[in-house]
Amino acid sequence: MALALQAALVCPFVWLNPHHEFSDIMDGQGTKHRILMVSDFFFPNFGGVESHIYYLSQCLLKLGHKVVVMTHAYGNRSGVRYVTNGLKVYYVPWRPFLMQNTLPTLFLTFPIVRTIIVREKISVVHGHQAFSTLCHEALMHARAMGYKVVFTDHSLYGFADAGSIHMNKVLQFTLADIDQAICVSHTSKENTVLRSGISPEKVFMVPNAVDTAMFTPSPKRLSCDEIVIVVISRLVYRKGADLLVEVIPEVCCLFPKVRFIVGGDGPKRVRLEEMREKFSLQDRVEMLGAVPHAQVRSVLISGHIFLNSSLTEAFCIAILEAASCGLLTVSTRVGGVPEVLPDDMIVLAEPAPGDMVRAVKKAIDMLPGIDPQIMHLRISYLRILGWKTVLPSYDHQLPTMAPSRIPTGILTQVLPQPAEGIEEVPDIGPLHAHLGSSNGLCEAQEK
Amino acid sequence: MGSYMGQQEHGISDGLYTYKHHREGGADIHVIFVKKSKFRVLLSYMGTMFLLATVCCALLSKDSLCLGSLWSISFASIIAKCLRCDPVKKESLVIMPTFGVQLEQHFWSGRVHRKFVPIGKILKPVLNEHVTPVSCYCNLALLLREEYDLMLVFKNLNPPVKMLVPIWKALCAFVDSKTLSDSALPQST
Repeated sequence: MALALQAALVCPFVWLNPHHEFSDIMDGQGTKHRILMVSDFFFPNFGGVESHIYYLSQCLLKLGHKVVVMTHAYGNRSGVRYVTNGLKVYYVPWRPFLMQNTLPTLFLTFPIVRTIIVREKISVVHGHQAFSTLCHEALMHARAMGYKVVFTDHSLYGFADAGSIHMNKVLQFTLADIDQAICVSHTSKENTVLRSGISPEKVFMVPNAVDTAMFTPSPKRLSCDEIVIVVISRLVYRKGADLLVEVIPEVCCLFPKVRFIVGGDGPKRVRLEEMREKFSLQDRVEMLGAVPHAQVRSVLISGHIFLNSSLTEAFCIAILEAASCGLLTVSTRVGGVPEVLPDDMIVLAEPAPGDMVRAVKKAIDMLPGIDPQIMHLRISYLRILGWKTVLPSYDHQLPTMAPSRIPTGILTQVLPQPAEGIEEVPDIGPLHAHLGSSNGLCEAQEK
Repeated sequence: MGSYMGQQEHGISDGLYTYKHHREGGADIHVIFVKKSKFRVLLSYMGTMFLLATVCCALLSKDSLCLGSLWSISFASIIAKCLRCDPVKKESLVIMPTFGVQLEQHFWSGRVHRKFVPIGKILKPVLNEHVTPVSCYCNLALLLREEYDLMLVFKNLNPPVKMLVPIWKALCAFVDSKTLSDSALPQST
């Protein structure tokens, strides 16, 4: 009995293989997966990772896969929620403790992760974002139970500072046994491979996509008498808010007919407000505060140029949205930004105030030759950035083999098996199939 | 190791829970029995023995009662209280047409706890997925008018969904019949 207890402590997952058959997961229409998306970052929190998970889930639902999202509770939003097209979201009542991350407990999340995986008959677990503790723990538990796991990295990290060193160590542990990894740009792929030490053959590059039907230019072209530069980002250090504080006064001084619209909120907002007061730019710099995502397009189409001053970016979906709205983009040449847009749609600069001012001047000179409608059509036509084209790449990377079982041997004869208290949830199917909705996200891009 | 789902004459059983349905005096009675857990009963006796042993040691020791012995008696009382269990024998739902529903909890000790919910207070019965930090399960709950919280039909039991579905259907039919009768009433001018 003592030997069995010691074995239970050393190998806690040996006897926790799922007992149901996986052959009945795939329906007769081909290889259909049941995917669990896990991340600490999901709606109602808004950002690049959140919208990536949401849009990817919607498109996978359209393809016939079953998708379930698992995240932590947000305030009173706790329990099971169904969002658009029947996407099921588990808001597990684990309170975030630091920067929207759940407390890392290593094993305490195992019961709920296993319960969700078994009751939803999950075949693939897909974790998002290296900074998400829930993602790391879920991937570890899923691999221990023999499921296929995929990891998507959305950010770039360094190698020298203490936070990055610890994060990279955790990433090495988590990615040591994954099946496949996805990065959103080639730069991000290189960064992830170097940080985690995994084989480059396991890492695939699947870029982010934009809903071009949602981000359309204004039907009426704006006059060039007054040039409006739009900035929409979180006002934090990583997003280059300090650069903005240097660039905006210089641009306003050099170009009298330039006006700025700054959307977003964060700890650096105070610095921008002080800059406005110091240089008396209240009539030329408009601060909107936090902008809901549904209103981002209306802010973008009020400008001619989109300014991005990020100090690090794996992909930068914001400039994609701006280009889809017909804005010429000025951005810092960092991370994966050069991979996002063609050279005639973006003006790149080094993350230094002088170079950025020069880039803004170049963009203003290019403005008369920019047609927002043509720019939008090019984004849609190229189809390298639409979800409809990105999705087959993702779909192709989904593991097709049935999950492997961990060899158990004699220990299964000694250790007690857990009681089967987990019921499988019946499939109700996607809601759009019942409601007859045809305005799906992926279908709209065919127009 | 699979679960046993045998169909009894008027109910369903899965080894741990047994569902029975019958009518009596015009009322529709749905009962779920739970198998008595001998392990919990054993733990309860162990807790009681631990408390008795602690008290006896404190009283029979040559030293007079001091703070340490009082603390140990208090600690043993807390342990005995936590381990004490009054297991549920069965929980039932009695649907009384035109009146309401009565939720009953019967314990092995003979204690019975009843709660009546008038029909006018019930908005809708729902099969709700409860998510806890360590688990997720389905349970039957009542949406009540002018109340924010859900009222669980089975407070101490987690029966499987296959047992909850016929009870939920019966409750829906009961609530819908009330709605139909209200709409059939002549409108006052």
